Amino acid sequence: MATPLLETHDLVKDYAIGGEIVHAVNNVSLSISRGEFVAIMGASGSGKSTFMNMIGCLDVPTSGTLLLDGIDTKLLDSDALAEIRNRKIGFVFQQFNLLARTSALDNVAVPLIYAGIGYAERRQRAQHKLEAMGLANRLQNTPAKLSGGQQQRVAIARALVTDPLMLLADEPTGALDTQTSLDIMGIFQKLNDDGITVVLVTHEPDIAEFAARRIVFRDGQVIEDAAVKSRRKASAA
Amino acid sequence: MKDLLASLAGWGVNVAIALTALRTNLMRSILTTLGVMIGVFSVILAVAVGNGAQVSVSQQIATLGSNMAIVVPQPDSGSGPPRPNDRGRLTERDGQAILREVSGVSAVAPQIRSSVQIVTPGRSATTQATGATPEYGVVSNVTASEGRFLTQSDVGSAARVAVIGETVANKLFPETSPVGETIRINRVPFTVIGLLESKGSNLGNDNDDQIVVPITTLRQRLLTTATQGPDDVTLIFVGFEDEDALLAGQKEIERLLRDRYRVAKGKINPFTVRTTTEIAETTGEVTQIFQAVLVAIASISLLVGGIGIMNIMLVSVTERTREIGLRMALGAKRSDIRNQFLVEAAVLCVIGGAIGLSLAILAASIFERVAEFPAPIGFDTAIMAVAFSAIIGLVFGGYPAIRASRLSPIEALRSE
Ligand SMILES: Nc1ncnc2c1ncn2[C@@H]1O[C@H](COP(=O)(O)OP(=O)(O)O)[C@@H](O)[C@H]1O
Ligand SMILES: [Mg+2]
Repeated sequence: MATPLLETHDLVKDYAIGGEIVHAVNNVSLSISRGEFVAIMGASGSGKSTFMNMIGCLDVPTSGTLLLDGIDTKLLDSDALAEIRNRKIGFVFQQFNLLARTSALDNVAVPLIYAGIGYAERRQRAQHKLEAMGLANRLQNTPAKLSGGQQQRVAIARALVTDPLMLLADEPTGALDTQTSLDIMGIFQKLNDDGITVVLVTHEPDIAEFAARRIVFRDGQVIEDAAVKSRRKASAA
Repeated sequence: MKDLLASLAGWGVNVAIALTALRTNLMRSILTTLGVMIGVFSVILAVAVGNGAQVSVSQQIATLGSNMAIVVPQPDSGSGPPRPNDRGRLTERDGQAILREVSGVSAVAPQIRSSVQIVTPGRSATTQATGATPEYGVVSNVTASEGRFLTQSDVGSAARVAVIGETVANKLFPETSPVGETIRINRVPFTVIGLLESKGSNLGNDNDDQIVVPITTLRQRLLTTATQGPDDVTLIFVGFEDEDALLAGQKEIERLLRDRYRVAKGKINPFTVRTTTEIAETTGEVTQIFQAVLVAIASISLLVGGIGIMNIMLVSVTERTREIGLRMALGAKRSDIRNQFLVEAAVLCVIGGAIGLSLAILAASIFERVAEFPAPIGFDTAIMAVAFSAIIGLVFGGYPAIRASRLSPIEALRSE
């Protein structure tokens, strides 16, 4: 079998709060292969986000090992980690995190700046991704002129613009209404069908049903890890 | 080459990001820029005024002449504290001795200086008269722009002739040429034989407010107080062939005069020998100190401007912590974040510096016109100003920029 895209061994993240140590993530060992669609579930405070931030190389584990594409991230310096975030990972956030007063096109082009891509190619690639998200006529709009669903689609276009291996989405539908949430999940499913690995954090069971595999966290530990039995298909819905 | 282009393009992106950020907080950016603007403005103006002083002083010194020693009958304070009994003397014979015995001397111009009152029908002027010989013209570059200068026979016959400066001529003969006219100097009638070539004015000193008459005539007819001896002079200009001769000659003159006046060993010279080189050096030093003090004072405002930049950049970093986190999540390296804020600070400073420089150029030209004082701002000063303000940006923007780049991506992203 090929190396998994992502592997964790006894991953731990501790926080010291008021002299007490909180094990936000407590000895998590799992692996995710290329092309998987994983939903991470659990109650609020169960450690989902902390885990996501570590596998996205935004946060450093207290102990344990994280292998990305076979590479031990402990051995990488901050520049190499930045490059992994840039090339291999696309982030989608609950609050979209678009730059205000900046056009959709320029927002989507930001990761390409850090990839060292020239101006013309940046614009062309950003435009292409926005068109794929159905935003061809919204290129010059600033976030303030876009609906929540449109903003999240701009954010997805931005996550995809460097053609990463993996999309990490922490509560991507948390700020959206039901119908828009379904649209966004449809997009994730389509992207996954096209081959990209998707890891999604959600606390809504019906959103998790769009994924193929469900991992449940409680108190920083994995208490359940199984295939989703009756998977929902956005195209069928 | 490709790398270079890529890195230039990278900086271009940072400039674009910086301009967007600065436009977003336009009012704040303007106020911050104002600090640097005032700082650069005052430093540049200080440099310009200092340059102007140097130019004026060196012009003034150049009007004296070059490669010249000036001997005056004053005790040389440089060789010890002057004592009242050390009143020196200097005579025309000393001048002849210098010409005869000191090597490299091209001409000796003894002079007597005295303040005189000149009257023409209906007009009068008070000015300084220099009793001189034709050599005076040679040694200190004085010529007649109209008529003629003194000749040996004017001096020999103690002729009542005068060569007058432009200022004096304008006072006495506002409409007509003075040459050939008769004037009364201290009531003695003189004929004006020439007009001195104008040497302009420097630092409020009018070089054209003077007249030149034969030394013999001045001594016999115009002196109001008696001198110690029959051929005492006020000072002697000694012209040298070149600068090397001047340097050696200064010592030789001192030795010769000590001999002639039998100054005992250890006693101070009852006369002083200064060279134009020395004068240029000392005044050059003085004006340099003057300029340094001006620039130092002005730099304080630039420092304040720089601190303003640092303050605003710290605020900017704090306000945009979340943006920094986001950029890091999207792949920005620490150096990318650092450069973004450095460029932002530098852009603020360079804009401020450019405006400050423009205002300084404007102020200097007004100053030149109103105060008739040169305040030159050279191309080098301009380049220096802009470079300096960019450096201010880098230095004072550096700390906030490095602080921003050291943020942990997740902590920055979580902040609000
Ligand atoms: N920066 C932090 N400092 C201290 N404690 C934290 C921090 N981030 C998360 N925690 C704690 O870690 C635990 C897991 O948090 P989180 O991963 O955000 O949970 P979830 O995303 O599942 O709601 C919680 O108890 C939370 O209070
Ligand atoms: Mg969370």
